[in-house]
Amino acid sequence: MIRMVGTRLASSTLTIFILVTMVFFMVHLTPGGPAYSILGMKATAASVAELNQRLGLDQPIIEQYGIWWWHLLHGQLGYSYLLSRPVGELLWQYEINTLVFYTVSIVVSTLLSILIGLVQGVYFGRWPAKLIGGLQLAFYALPAFFVAAMLVLWFSVQLKILPASGITNLRLADPGVGSYAAHLVLPVTTITLLTVASLSRYFGEAVHEELGKDYVRTARAKGVGFPAILFGHVLRNALRPLVTILGLSFPYIFTGGVIVESVFNYPGLGWLMWRSALSQDYPILIAIVLLIGILTVVGNLLADLVNGLLDPRASYE
Amino acid sequence: MSEHAIPTATSAGMPAAPLARWLGWIGQRSTLVAGLTITAVILFVGFIAPFLYPADPYAIHPAHALEGPSAAFPLGTDELGRDELALLLSGGFATLVVALPAAILAFVVGVAYGLAAGLAPAWLDRLMMRILDAVLALPSLIILIFFASLVTLDNTSLILLLGLISWPGLARLVRNEALAQRGRDFVLAAEQLGAGRMYIARVHLLRVMAPVLVVNGTFMVGDSVFALSSLSFLGLGVQPPQVSWGSLLESALDIIALDPWWLILPPGLLVFGSLLAASLTGQGLLQRWGGHR
Repeated sequence: MIRMVGTRLASSTLTIFILVTMVFFMVHLTPGGPAYSILGMKATAASVAELNQRLGLDQPIIEQYGIWWWHLLHGQLGYSYLLSRPVGELLWQYEINTLVFYTVSIVVSTLLSILIGLVQGVYFGRWPAKLIGGLQLAFYALPAFFVAAMLVLWFSVQLKILPASGITNLRLADPGVGSYAAHLVLPVTTITLLTVASLSRYFGEAVHEELGKDYVRTARAKGVGFPAILFGHVLRNALRPLVTILGLSFPYIFTGGVIVESVFNYPGLGWLMWRSALSQDYPILIAIVLLIGILTVVGNLLADLVNGLLDPRASYE
Repeated sequence: MSEHAIPTATSAGMPAAPLARWLGWIGQRSTLVAGLTITAVILFVGFIAPFLYPADPYAIHPAHALEGPSAAFPLGTDELGRDELALLLSGGFATLVVALPAAILAFVVGVAYGLAAGLAPAWLDRLMMRILDAVLALPSLIILIFFASLVTLDNTSLILLLGLISWPGLARLVRNEALAQRGRDFVLAAEQLGAGRMYIARVHLLRVMAPVLVVNGTFMVGDSVFALSSLSFLGLGVQPPQVSWGSLLESALDIIALDPWWLILPPGLLVFGSLLAASLTGQGLLQRWGGHR
């Protein structure tokens, strides 16, 4: 176990090191460098040189690489070009909104997936499972922006029962928790529809597989009732792979998040990234890219470790 | 293809009528047939329909702005009074002409990287896999958004961008397959007989992997259309004045309060159809080939 934790930690650290280096070169290998992109149409040789000096971009590339690490390790992520505020502070502000959004989405989609997966696993090969399988395939192919647009069209424009945009009603002095919750309904529904498609499929397969194992037959032979087998044994065992899949699906939830947050103008990290990309606000973009990358690596590591604890056999792979 | 149908039908022991035999053949391959049918529809919309419906997508009819479907405008008009069907067809061509070459590029890079890692010495393989982990740690849409904000966006840069970013998943798969196949007897025998690495990669590994490659290549085409549409939806893909499925949906969303369902459903359904076509075709092929692997 300790050996496994050691190797996983080492390889995750190496991955993060490569990631940070990669992002550095991504920025510095672009034609013209950041200065041209920032100045855009107004770029003259003199203004580019001045900006390069101000941003430290006239140093040799190796030195810049060193400074890059120095700043990162000291938590200095720079200043937003457009909003003129420290990047760290901005990220934190938007991160909270994203965190609320994702936590609700993940809880809702996991519970729904377990429910659907149980039905699919129990009725494997019969029509309920086939129907669910078809729906999963269809929903898996649904683009996030299409789902989001259709939900807005139905529930906000035609039925007028749910807000289409923002995080709360800004016209009210004290909108209250209810307004925040109402603004979350459509974004969360979008993410849920998209993640449940794959999550429930994995879970359904796991349930089906567990049901075919010897311990189930033994339990049945002893006269244990089917509900007791399903909820007492099978559910717990089938939940195990879900840990890995949740760990792995984090980046994809975030990817969907960029689209969903931009459709619903929900001020989360994805929305911030989108706005920064459109206005070429690199310090923010770089910080978000690094944050997502590191969170993904850490997420995978945690999934591995939790799996190792739940199932000692996994450590020896 | 119909030659394959005869043994399947006769093996059931029934002297089937041609129609029933044909339906039976389709029934066994329903997923694949559905996938290929939708693929044909999408390709028709992108490459043939623009010639059959020659209305100018950029002609403005102010008197007919934001009208629902009618005889003159089969899919209605947008807020400027442009023919939505013509925009949709032009946007389809713009989407596919970038997404298809990008998928091919990603496929080639992925196979090359995966084979190289699978055949490389262990230390190099390990390094190449860590680099892959680092790339895979970033969801591809995030890297795409990042680079799209750095470069000037045109068809060439979009193909390169999508192609050079969408390969790592396939590369990992190919590398794992290569490692698994490398220890098999026929590869070891070829090595003993003095076959070089390139020869083994080309003649043995690629041939054994062909089904896996075709299935995953199919998925990649769908992913490519989806990625480009997402980028365009965010304003970071195909640039105006050229429209694309993603950007059409985005501009419809700007005026969504006016309930323009005819501007939202068609582009959304076409992107959905592209993804569905790829995933059904891939699944169908997997079902057919599943037994052989």
